[in-house]
Amino acid sequence: MRRTVRRPAVAVGVPEPVTTGSVDLLVIDDGAALRGYDCRDVVRVEVVAGGAGGYLVRLGRLGSPREVACREVLGSVALSTREIRPVPETLRERMTGEMPWAVGLTERGMYLLY
Amino acid sequence: MEKRPINIRKGAVNTNFEVTGMVSTSGILPLDEAREELLREASIEAEKSGREKAQEEAGPTRSLLVFFLGAEGFAVDLAHVRKVLRPDRIARVSGAAPEVLGLMNCHGEVLCVLDLRRILSPGKETAPPAAAEGKFIVVIQHGGKEAGFLVDAVRDVTELPASSVHPVLDSIDPSRARLFEGTVACGGQFVGLLSPSACLNP
Repeated sequence: MRRTVRRPAVAVGVPEPVTTGSVDLLVIDDGAALRGYDCRDVVRVEVVAGGAGGYLVRLGRLGSPREVACREVLGSVALSTREIRPVPETLRERMTGEMPWAVGLTERGMYLLY
Repeated sequence: MEKRPINIRKGAVNTNFEVTGMVSTSGILPLDEAREELLREASIEAEKSGREKAQEEAGPTRSLLVFFLGAEGFAVDLAHVRKVLRPDRIARVSGAAPEVLGLMNCHGEVLCVLDLRRILSPGKETAPPAAAEGKFIVVIQHGGKEAGFLVDAVRDVTELPASSVHPVLDSIDPSRARLFEGTVACGGQFVGLLSPSACLNP
């Protein structure tokens, strides 16, 4: 039986089970992996001038403000609940950085959802 | 061939019984052939019971999957091997431990792929991640956990008596020794028998 994936508590304070509908994500390339962020949480995307360039994604429309630097912003994607999978436990136990709350698995590729 | 008991015909002159042959579904076998048939059956029975006896003496057996990392051989109990795959696109994960190569789509499931070489040699963390081309992923499952381990080559499945597993040598570093159940002689080479539980748990 597939485990229910829960979104982190960004808005209502309680992790939200993802069981129906779809989730709209802003997909970015952080140089190592493709990351997906809830589109509803995106405040704005800024171009980083100078240095290595890239973009700065400002988040926090739903919760506390945070920002993510990335090499490229690839656009948005809508993932159905079928395409949202739990993070494998073997990975969960080996995360030293920010923990994704789920993995988006589509025919086009794999996204780590933060 | 269905066989009925040896056909015994009462002699015409005296009351002795005469064995003439053996009846099979294909007809009556001459006596010599019947004797040969019985001897063959007896020999098969003896061979079978000898084999069973030898197996009983050797104790239970274990089926092991033997694979390689470079020239070094390793084995894992086949009971814990879910599948062996060729690596597909492995999505890297930022912020993961160095032994994590990434995530792979394994027939619609998300599989965490680990670099077995790095797990066995944790000191070499500055080495670049292993390239996956031309290699194999051995998917191991134990205690509700599952991961794919990148290996260079997969040799075969070997069946060995459980008693042929020797303890890990004392000279091996304890942090590495915990990853092994023991050592076994396989095809003229000693290979390390990996402990699935230790390899899956960091």
